[in-house]
Amino acid sequence: MSSRRPFAEILKWILFVWIGVIIWAAFFYAPAAAGFKGQSSRIVFFHVPVAWVATLAFLVSCVASIRYLKTRSVADDIRAEVASSLGLLFAVLATVTGSIFARIMWGSYWNWDPRETSITFLLLIYAAYFALRAAVADPERRASLAAVYSILAFVTVPFLVFVVPRIYWSLHPDTIINAQAKIKMGSHMFEVLMGSLVGFSGLFVWLYTVACRIETIRRRRQQEVL
Amino acid sequence: MSRGIFPFMGGGITIEFEDLAKRFDMRVVFRSVSGRVAPGEVLAVTGPNGSGKSTLVTILCGLVRATRGRVLYREGSGEIPRESWRDHLGIVAPAMSLYEELDALENLRFFALVRGVDDAETRCRASLERVGLDPDRTTPVRGFSTGMHQRLKIAQAVLHDPQVLFLDEPGANLDPAGQDWLEKLVASERDAGKTIVLATNDLREMEWGTSRVALSG
Amino acid sequence: MWRYLAEAGAVFAKDMRTELRTRVAFNALGLFAITTLAAVSYTIGPYRIAEADRPYLLSALLWIVIFFAAMAGLDRSFVKEEDSHTAALLRLSARPLVVWGGKLLFNVVVLDLLMVILVPLYVVLMGFEVRSITGLVWILLAGGYTLAVTTTIVAAIIARASSRGALFSVLSLPLLLPLLIFVIQGTRAVAEGSAGGVISALRAVISLGGVMTLVSIVLFPAVWNE
Repeated sequence: MSSRRPFAEILKWILFVWIGVIIWAAFFYAPAAAGFKGQSSRIVFFHVPVAWVATLAFLVSCVASIRYLKTRSVADDIRAEVASSLGLLFAVLATVTGSIFARIMWGSYWNWDPRETSITFLLLIYAAYFALRAAVADPERRASLAAVYSILAFVTVPFLVFVVPRIYWSLHPDTIINAQAKIKMGSHMFEVLMGSLVGFSGLFVWLYTVACRIETIRRRRQQEVL
Repeated sequence: MSRGIFPFMGGGITIEFEDLAKRFDMRVVFRSVSGRVAPGEVLAVTGPNGSGKSTLVTILCGLVRATRGRVLYREGSGEIPRESWRDHLGIVAPAMSLYEELDALENLRFFALVRGVDDAETRCRASLERVGLDPDRTTPVRGFSTGMHQRLKIAQAVLHDPQVLFLDEPGANLDPAGQDWLEKLVASERDAGKTIVLATNDLREMEWGTSRVALSG
Repeated sequence: MWRYLAEAGAVFAKDMRTELRTRVAFNALGLFAITTLAAVSYTIGPYRIAEADRPYLLSALLWIVIFFAAMAGLDRSFVKEEDSHTAALLRLSARPLVVWGGKLLFNVVVLDLLMVILVPLYVVLMGFEVRSITGLVWILLAGGYTLAVTTTIVAAIIARASSRGALFSVLSLPLLLPLLIFVIQGTRAVAEGSAGGVISALRAVISLGGVMTLVSIVLFPAVWNE
């Protein structure tokens, strides 16, 4: 397979080197941010990209689901399922890295600030998505129902991300401090963070294409029993 | 019209299906089934228990999607989209029940209303009388004998005078008189240019078929 | 349009009639709500909560009781069709949106009936002081509708899967999370007599309900016909 896609092969190696450089830069190039305990700010280079990928995967899954309902093509169902499974993985990573940081900075692993609420929501959605898939035996029906659920979940996101924080602010403005304790970022940190976002997005694309290919083969084997 | 030998009013519907396969997870129901049934014909679907007769019927009436293959409803030279199949068909099947809490007339009235049938009340009553049930009896369907239940299901299937009839084991639980009556009903529907799909293992009912699809187990 | 309403009305009337003869959904919802209310009132009662916390905690408790009662019974209208094997004939007889409209109306009516009984009891038993009855009624109506419209499509999804009971709450709760936050804030604003808070919560609830309605109209046929 790889010999037939020389371009993809080169990209893969570039991605490998890129991420290696980012890891190095996160620890040795970027300074530790002022106002944060010790070296804790460095987690931003991993936490933010991972959370970004979890959200990106959610978007990809939703787009693939809409396409599935239009085309009824197995390929789109595979895209939606693979994107969701990667999304679940990255959402777990984002939650773990986030709560490690929360423990160090704010003294508790969890305190339901709006962002923690949104990531919990993502986790619950992904978990529900797979629970639904597991509960339907008919493959065609499974694909449609999962697609509908994915879209339903997606339309509630804006409410959670944009409206809920607004209501919370209007009623008790003191809870937002945590949400907005964004790093006033130095240029070195900013470079590394941007580089890391690109790197993790690339990693997602690579994992996504590989997983889609694997899933396609797996489904084809199931079809062979026909 | 394409069907020169059946000059019925309003055309009629031909159902064609090709290379149908259905799988539930790893269980394969059938691998490749094809067939065709035109107005005025009765397609008999036969096969042992578990060979997928009922599954084939649910695919043909659009309730379930096939894993592979396709189904077409043709009317004249046009094709009817899948969403509209239900407007043209009536069905009797063992796994499709009526509302047990409602009485016979309430059941039919409900189906007539949601189908937008004109003159629902008289149609429902006529339909019940046609299958030999008393429209004024207010026992809920739960209290019906299996034979009466089956008659009511048949009344429901023909209530809106559909072009296509799916009969999955229509004679189940009917007494000999009921079976004679059913045979006459199938013959008259067939002669009226209806397209009929009949899934059965009953030797007598198989005789009604003008063509046959045999499923293997 | 009139024909649509007449047909949806027939579905609603049929559901009401069968429900009145069996009372499965009414019993599930009603008993669940009353039992939870009794438990809450017995363990917490009107005086255990400090004066300052009352508007918020009592609003949250009220909606949690309503939400869990909804989880206990609102999937009934679809699940019953599948369990008693009547779904196939309904699917072949009625247009999808007619079914959706009828079932939605049924769920709205059941939920409103529940609230008519539950909320006054709650107010009395818990000593919940409401400053604006109109505000409360609006929040309950809008919240009830949005809750019903969301659970209606989820019920349609889970009715087609196995292990439904658990799946209904697993799939519903993430989608209801924003709504839960909005209605609790709105009810709290009612208790505190803050008209601005009530209006901003109402606006959020109604727009969420509107979005869910539109998305359900688009997606329901894909769920129902699958």
